[in-house]
Amino acid sequence: MNWLLFTPEIYYLLVSLLFLGASMGGRATPGTDYIAALSAAAVGMAVTAAAVKLEGSLFAGSYRIDLLSQVFKVILSSALFLVLCICAQLNGIRERHRRDFYCLLFLCTVAMMMLVSSVHLISIYLSLELSSYSLYVLVALRKNANLGLEAGIKYFIIGIFASAMMFFGMGMVYASTGAGYLEELTEVLPGFVHDPLLMLGLLLTLSGFFFKLAVFPFHFWAPDVYQGSMNQVAAYIATASKVAAIGILLRVIAVLGEGNAYLIQVLAVLSIVSMTLGNLAAIVEHDVKRLLAYSTIAHAGYVLIGVLSASAGGYSGTVFYAMALLLMKFTVFLVVVQVASAGGNLRIEQLAGLHRRSPLLAMALLVAAFSLAGIPPTVGFTGKFLVFTAAMQKGYFTLVLIGMINVVISLYYYLMMVRAAYLLKPDEALPDLHLSLPLRTLTGALVALMLVAGSFPYPFIQAANAAVRALM
Amino acid sequence: MTLHGLIFYLLASVILASTGMAITRRNLVHAVLYLVFSFIGSALLFCLFGAPFLALLQVIIYAGAIMVVFLFIVMMVKPDLSEGTVLPLRQLLPMVLFGFMYAVVGVLVAVTDPAGRAVLETAVAKPTEFGHYVFARHYLAVEIISLILLIGLMGALHLGREKVPKEPEEPS
Repeated sequence: MNWLLFTPEIYYLLVSLLFLGASMGGRATPGTDYIAALSAAAVGMAVTAAAVKLEGSLFAGSYRIDLLSQVFKVILSSALFLVLCICAQLNGIRERHRRDFYCLLFLCTVAMMMLVSSVHLISIYLSLELSSYSLYVLVALRKNANLGLEAGIKYFIIGIFASAMMFFGMGMVYASTGAGYLEELTEVLPGFVHDPLLMLGLLLTLSGFFFKLAVFPFHFWAPDVYQGSMNQVAAYIATASKVAAIGILLRVIAVLGEGNAYLIQVLAVLSIVSMTLGNLAAIVEHDVKRLLAYSTIAHAGYVLIGVLSASAGGYSGTVFYAMALLLMKFTVFLVVVQVASAGGNLRIEQLAGLHRRSPLLAMALLVAAFSLAGIPPTVGFTGKFLVFTAAMQKGYFTLVLIGMINVVISLYYYLMMVRAAYLLKPDEALPDLHLSLPLRTLTGALVALMLVAGSFPYPFIQAANAAVRALM
Repeated sequence: MTLHGLIFYLLASVILASTGMAITRRNLVHAVLYLVFSFIGSALLFCLFGAPFLALLQVIIYAGAIMVVFLFIVMMVKPDLSEGTVLPLRQLLPMVLFGFMYAVVGVLVAVTDPAGRAVLETAVAKPTEFGHYVFARHYLAVEIISLILLIGLMGALHLGREKVPKEPEEPS
């Protein structure tokens, strides 16, 4: 067995175990710990990027290393690094829990990396569980125990419900086909298209991924959990865990593949409901994080459009969309974390006068909100364009039309945020927000990246195309 | 009815009754004890179906280890044991509704196609073979489970520690 293939996972696991050991002894040294975590994440990005060309199979075939998994691992490691960048002031948790926090973040990243590489039902299920469990604890870590615990318990209960359904579904799939590896499933599936037991099993299996991605009917947790968790943890859930869910969903849907009209129809319905429900519910929200949660639900709907197109274009559009989601969502959360610097929750009204307090943050919010809404020339527009084009090529006109209508609806609440930042005057004069130099550079780089990747997406599209070639 | 069938229905009714008792008890310790009965009942069912190894695992893991953990939790969180109905009507209603729907669908399935059946292949493996299979083919899964347990431990420690009487909030 070639252990070199497993390097990124081993690296992140070692870092998390080091933090676990450190959390058990010694006095908390927040400054040093933060520098250590940040540099470990930076090195981790380099390790993952170096491993991007590796290919192979591990653990008796239950673990596949290919370009798709490696690209997703690079996105995941960047997500971890970005989230750690905004953790300089961890006001949301007690000082003695900081090392646990880092340990769980790294462990969760390992789990998600294993998730996008898993090709056996059991390893998929277990790595999904591992990532969920770390997130439950991360959510409950919040210092304001009432908020954090309530959100953590809600997340946990909905999570185990979804995971029980998923396990039941996997049991049905295994019982009817006897296949545990995704490859075996590809071979035997054509013979089972009309088997109700298998179809039900597949749907229930997908419900675990729907929970991660916050697709209707597994979306209930999102607003409460975003609101109840620390801003940084919410940022991590909104970026990394969505990316991982998209990765594994692509792999599984590619196996179930074309010709499975029934499954595609179900996905289309779920996509429409998620989009519409997320966007309509977001309109009345005033808490920024709850609003972002509903926007996540809507975006899960857009992602599903790309996935259910079940073509090379659809898959690569989805990979592109995953990268775009990371950029846009993270930028909004960066603004949230900086404006709510005391670690509390942020209401839209509190964004008032942001362009005077910090022009850079206001601009970042503007670009990110436009990108989320899908206005050219931002990366969000290109992502939606790719996904919708793939669906049009498959002839899903109604679906795309509903998607477009939803984009228009979503403009309203994204513009609400921008309006608050630029046009509203705060009730009382608030002090200017000072960002450190690295943070200013990061914000500027994110804004530039969103615009550049939106206007000149070809390198990114090519990377996405190369990644999904592993699936076809 | 054969003796086999008689034992099956007897066990099934014991399991149903004890599970029903378990989910309606207000006193958590009583609920846990009823659940132990239910688990032992299902272990006997497995035995009846010719899977003694599974039956043993059921007793050791579920009726043994997991129930002890449940008891620990009951002692740790000291739940509120106030009297009253278990569920308010507002929450009971959807439960009854879905239960009713399930019953209707079940009856419909049984009535429309009384001969319908899905035959599942049985796999018979000795404990040794099973162990070899798990640890040779799926040792990644075993390792992931160990990590999940580690996180579970961290979570339990964290949640348990929060219960310690009011400690002064650290200045933020």
